Amino acid sequence: MLSRSAVQRLVPGGLVAAGGGTLLVTLLVLIAVSAAGGDSGRMPDIARILYVSSIQAGLSTIFSLIFGVAIAWAFNRLSFPGRNLSVGFLSAALVTPGLVVAFGLISVWGRAGWVNTLLAPFGLAVPPVFGLFGIVYAHIILDATFAAALLLPRLDGLAATRLRLGRSLNLTPWLRFRTLDWPALRPALPGLAAIIFLLSFTSFPIVLTLGGGPANQTLEVAIYAAVRLDFDLGAAVRLALVQLAISAVLIIPATALSLVPPAGGGTRALPWPEPRGVARLAGLILIAAGLFLGLPLVAVIVGGTGFGEVLGQQSFWNATATSLIVGIGAALAALVAGLAVASARSAARNPIAGFALSAPAYVYLAMPSVTLSLGFFLGAHRLGLNTGTIGFWVLIIAGALLALPYAVSTLTPALTGIEGRYGRLATSLRLSPLQRWRLIAWPLIGREIGLVLAMGFCFSLGDLGVISLFGSENLSTLSSAMNRALGAYRTDDAAAISALMLILSIAVFVALPRIFERLSRAGT
Amino acid sequence: MIRNLVLAALLLTLSGPAALAADKPELTIYTYDSFAADWGPGPQLKAAFEAKCGCTVNFVATDSSIGALRRVQLEGKSTSADIIVGLDTSVTGQARATGLFAESGVDTSGLNLPIAWDDKEFVPFDWGYFAFIYNTTKLPEPPTSFEALNAAKDLKILIEDPRADTPGLGLVLWIKAAYGDKAAGVWKAMWPHVVTMAPDWSAAYSLFLKGEADMVLSYTTSPAYHIVADNDLNYAAAPFEEGHYMQVEVAGVLKSSPNKELAQQFLTWLVTPEAQTIIPDTNWMYPVVDLPETPAGFEDLIVPDTPLLLPDDEVTAKADEWINEALDAQH
Repeated sequence: MLSRSAVQRLVPGGLVAAGGGTLLVTLLVLIAVSAAGGDSGRMPDIARILYVSSIQAGLSTIFSLIFGVAIAWAFNRLSFPGRNLSVGFLSAALVTPGLVVAFGLISVWGRAGWVNTLLAPFGLAVPPVFGLFGIVYAHIILDATFAAALLLPRLDGLAATRLRLGRSLNLTPWLRFRTLDWPALRPALPGLAAIIFLLSFTSFPIVLTLGGGPANQTLEVAIYAAVRLDFDLGAAVRLALVQLAISAVLIIPATALSLVPPAGGGTRALPWPEPRGVARLAGLILIAAGLFLGLPLVAVIVGGTGFGEVLGQQSFWNATATSLIVGIGAALAALVAGLAVASARSAARNPIAGFALSAPAYVYLAMPSVTLSLGFFLGAHRLGLNTGTIGFWVLIIAGALLALPYAVSTLTPALTGIEGRYGRLATSLRLSPLQRWRLIAWPLIGREIGLVLAMGFCFSLGDLGVISLFGSENLSTLSSAMNRALGAYRTDDAAAISALMLILSIAVFVALPRIFERLSRAGT
Repeated sequence: MIRNLVLAALLLTLSGPAALAADKPELTIYTYDSFAADWGPGPQLKAAFEAKCGCTVNFVATDSSIGALRRVQLEGKSTSADIIVGLDTSVTGQARATGLFAESGVDTSGLNLPIAWDDKEFVPFDWGYFAFIYNTTKLPEPPTSFEALNAAKDLKILIEDPRADTPGLGLVLWIKAAYGDKAAGVWKAMWPHVVTMAPDWSAAYSLFLKGEADMVLSYTTSPAYHIVADNDLNYAAAPFEEGHYMQVEVAGVLKSSPNKELAQQFLTWLVTPEAQTIIPDTNWMYPVVDLPETPAGFEDLIVPDTPLLLPDDEVTAKADEWINEALDAQH
């Protein structure tokens, strides 16, 4: 029997889940209906695409997780000035537009990149970064850093009692990792693996830019081609369904597995003297991560230092204003929807209900943004809305939907953990959902809230898919301004805009989690 | 703070076309985004035409010319577009087949194009040739044909994906027009030289400027940009013996337009020297009429002897097949 409070928490989350699911189906139906008659019946070789993208995504996932764990571990063992900035830098990588990452990677490792320029006097050169290697490398930049940013709080938040016990048992560094760290990390890995696999599986600009040729492609590319080149909406829907079906197979285990949350409360202050080798290894890992994963992003910022001209353009400032407003709107919407789903999940007792609640949110991981954009466009058109004026709102909604899976996966473990520790107490005190939130959850999840807001903001900042149909003279974002500059030989402008976008993302990822952590703790 | 943002958001939504004076006729033109950008031809064309028509010109930018066509197709008869500017010859066949375009009523017989132009719906407003661009300081002896390119040792090129981008499709058509049934063989020999097949022209060109390849598929007019904007004389197009495939950019009036007369006036004006003078140094393509002065940067461009262009009905019917042929040749 569910308590009244549980019902009150289940309903909003249920509504969000139902709304998200219904919207997705509606968008696909809208496209399918419009496709009537214009069906070329042509389908690309799906089996081959699946084979190629599975290998690519599988490798990307395995390496991202290994590096992600190593980087999180290294950060956990070290304290140094700039640690928070570095962690913010890591988190920002995930939301950087793929093309920008690809360009950054090439600035460092390309034929005329930094490394080859350094090696040239010695007659040496690194092999080209194009092909499977380049794709996987670019995905690791995005996803290993994302994994590290999500895993680090689990290590930083280990319960002090456990650490004290471990320390008193004189655990070796390896045993410390195996008995204390690993159990905290492991529960997060299946969900993380599913997310990373999906991201790599549906990757678009990276696969094309670094792929080296048509042998490397993804369903997302085929969907784009079906919509843009063939205008075969029927094929686009069929391909999108294949992508969604495959993703569902991955999403089910990821969401059905019970998520073990990180324990709250920072214990990083607890000293645990370890052999000097540990600090050295950790330092080495971070230096390697900085060189291989951080440097391409640094290259993006360095490449954009000639931003004087861009700052003088009115259109740049208009795009900045639009991006900021849309980003804030999308971040708030993602947070509200994410809290509703996560709080319902924490109240849901059985795994099927949990799955039903979060699956609709996770499905948006696999929704191609070109079909999302197309569906909204057709819907607006059918309703007789002026696509020029509602574009602004569509950007906000779509940005929130694309960030929703991350919001849910960030908030659910936190709220589930809080429910586990304080749920019975709250129920016995007959706290209303609002009181539960204000007195118990809010003081403990400030950091996660800041993180979700940062993700929501940055996702809409980096969006290039949705704006493609809704952009107009009156509606342009920083990423569409970047694309526009790239399309007209103005590579310096584009480099400057992408550098500014990256700096903005990093700033948001560094600042928001800290600000909200302070805000939420201030009341206690 | 939040309330101010919401207000700003509302203002942003409500401003725009609706806020314009109601008594003037409005001409809505869909185009690709760099055409409508501050530095593109759009703003200058708008100012010049508004000065004489007593109307308001609105450019609505989509991410590409194909995007503009798809948007009109999705909107069908209720589209707010009067004109599309910027379709090119690889999609005019498809555009015609939609039945959405009216006869332009513009006399194109006096235009100066390398080929005869006879099209009732579409009015050409600029054109160029596809070509491989290289840096003369880094590649002193560029290949002079596809065969030379394919035989060159260690020569690396960048091309665009024909499924996603018109220059990419342009290369498929170029090789098809030059080699016909032997096209697949040319592709097969070319693939080892391809560094990557970028998602679009911008990505390919950026990679080229970063030094990732010796040549990139672009236009014969690309060096003009480097001459005029960067005063950089080191970029050139490699003339190919097979001839060069043409890209002609066209504009068309929508049948559904309530302002057809005004739209026709715009298209007629678009091919006058006054409008054409604006195009070369903003859109980096050749004008369709002889201008009194050669546009800056265009003096030293290569002029191919053999312009190639396939009939648009054949392109429409066979593009898919030819794209697959080119892509499959990689295996």
